[in-house]
Amino acid sequence: MTTPLLEVSDLSVGLRAGGVAYDIVRNVSLTVDQNEILAIVGESGCGKSLTALSILQLHASPPLQITGGSVVYGGSDLVRKTKKEMRGIRGSEIAMIFQDPMSALDPMFTIGSVLVSAVRAHQDVSKDVAEKIALEALADAGIEDPRRRFAEYPFQLSGGVSQRAMIALALVNSPKLIIADEPTTALDVTVQAQILDRLRALKNERGMSIMLITHNLGVVASVADRMAVMYAGEVVEMGAVSDVFAKPQHPYTTGLLGAVPRLGAGASDLVPIPGRVPQPDELPAGCTFADRCSRVVDSCRATRPDITVRGRVQVRCFNPVS
Amino acid sequence: MSTVVKRVLLTLLLLQLSSLAVFAAIRLSGGDVTAARLPASATAEDRELFREQIGLNQPILTQYVDYLGKVVRGDLGNSLTNNAKISTLAVEKIRNSLILGGAAIVLVFGIGIPLGMLAAFRRNTWLDTSISSAAVAGMAIPNFWLALLVVWLFSSTLGWFPPAGAGGFKYLVLPALVLAAEGIALTVRMTRSAMLENVGQDFVRTLRAAGLSESRVYFKHVLRNSLLPIISLAGLRVGQIIGYALVVETIFGWPGVGQILVNGVLRRDYPIVQFFSLLLVIVVTLGNLAASVGYTLANPRLRK
Repeated sequence: MTTPLLEVSDLSVGLRAGGVAYDIVRNVSLTVDQNEILAIVGESGCGKSLTALSILQLHASPPLQITGGSVVYGGSDLVRKTKKEMRGIRGSEIAMIFQDPMSALDPMFTIGSVLVSAVRAHQDVSKDVAEKIALEALADAGIEDPRRRFAEYPFQLSGGVSQRAMIALALVNSPKLIIADEPTTALDVTVQAQILDRLRALKNERGMSIMLITHNLGVVASVADRMAVMYAGEVVEMGAVSDVFAKPQHPYTTGLLGAVPRLGAGASDLVPIPGRVPQPDELPAGCTFADRCSRVVDSCRATRPDITVRGRVQVRCFNPVS
Repeated sequence: MSTVVKRVLLTLLLLQLSSLAVFAAIRLSGGDVTAARLPASATAEDRELFREQIGLNQPILTQYVDYLGKVVRGDLGNSLTNNAKISTLAVEKIRNSLILGGAAIVLVFGIGIPLGMLAAFRRNTWLDTSISSAAVAGMAIPNFWLALLVVWLFSSTLGWFPPAGAGGFKYLVLPALVLAAEGIALTVRMTRSAMLENVGQDFVRTLRAAGLSESRVYFKHVLRNSLLPIISLAGLRVGQIIGYALVVETIFGWPGVGQILVNGVLRRDYPIVQFFSLLLVIVVTLGNLAASVGYTLANPRLRK
């Protein structure tokens, strides 16, 4: 087995402010291999975005801070890097794409000027060369008229074009990994498909890896190689997309898949998961899903299950669906 | 184009109405120039004769039409108290006021913006608290009192600057500072809150994620976004400075528009009051116009 591109081990991120101390992301371990798309799936507030942000240390600190674990990239732990070293990694080694492209771009500057700034933040090149790199990135991101878009401001772009501009911004310094935080959530369905196609094509053309954060299982099924399911700040199941979809083992994953509407099925075939997600400051001592779980056993309430290898996937459960 | 034409027409109407308002107000406020111009021993007949000579006994409307006709022909008239030609007086007074007002505007933005940024960077530290408290004080302290305070401290006690008068740079420091104080305070608060608001915007995270340095993110992107509200209110600052100039020039004996206008009102020197107050209306209008043009130029949404 080759060494993974990124290895997150036992990562916890918590809130530490004015007497308040609890973790929002708890003991997350996951890997991203070379040239693969790893999807992180979960409901809003499950900690998937925070996990992603904390990899690049872009979480709001204070009050949030990494309270344990490591993020190994290129043989060294990013958690221990200085601010300056992190700045060197952001954009050039690991880039990030955000959810709402309209508000994620500076309204006062042209797309081109931001791209050129990003190029020159990492590469010692002239303005002309930087401009050329920027134009290529815009074309690679699937923008049809790069020269025109280069000179435009964010308010002149549609949502889809804005998101492509964000992708271009992530591409300018040829990173090995792109973290895409709900890149299609704010877009129309047709545009969503185009953006996903583009991301998958970039992965193949450039041989890079993508960590795709989403709550949309359809997106996972169509583009991801592997997936990690998160619930209440923990990874509860992880494995190849085909394995997890074919034979989900964690009761939460089963529930998630059961809550997906299918063509030809009536509304009554949708099975909601009863109860609600526990808040990070009121987590039970045992399994976080115990209160909502149909397969709960005594040990679930007493101790917190570890994530363990079970067949071809990893599951955090005492009584998995076999 | 039509908005420009509309704006020019509105401005002309504004000037017309304010000239009428000033014209009437100064005449209806009681007393007249004979008190200042003629000796105390002058009889009632002497005073009446003088009024007749300068046309003060005509109906107000007749006087107004007469005045407008002269203004249109470029005749601004003479001072009633010393017969000096207003067009000659104006050059010197305007120059002096531009020096003082210009210095104050430079101070408002030159001190206000950097201090506001500093307070935002050091949010919730003693430095931020000191700057913000000073800004609140700067807004609360009336400028005439502040003037007395700085004269007491820097002239009487420390002897660093002359207490009043006009001359070199030394004479400019105290009046410019007092004139700018409230504007500086407001600019500090606006800059601080705009910077803090923009630091929390999504685009800041995007720029950080792209690997831009913190200084680049703050000094280029956050600052640029924060300048918009400051520019949009720059016209108000200009108007404020002009209003305060009346008080500050009088206290510091600065021979500018404010001083001559205040003296003109006290002596009921109608032509002086009419010309110089109209001048202030023009400057305030131009200041607002410049601010809205500046805002348009600084905002890509409006520029495109």
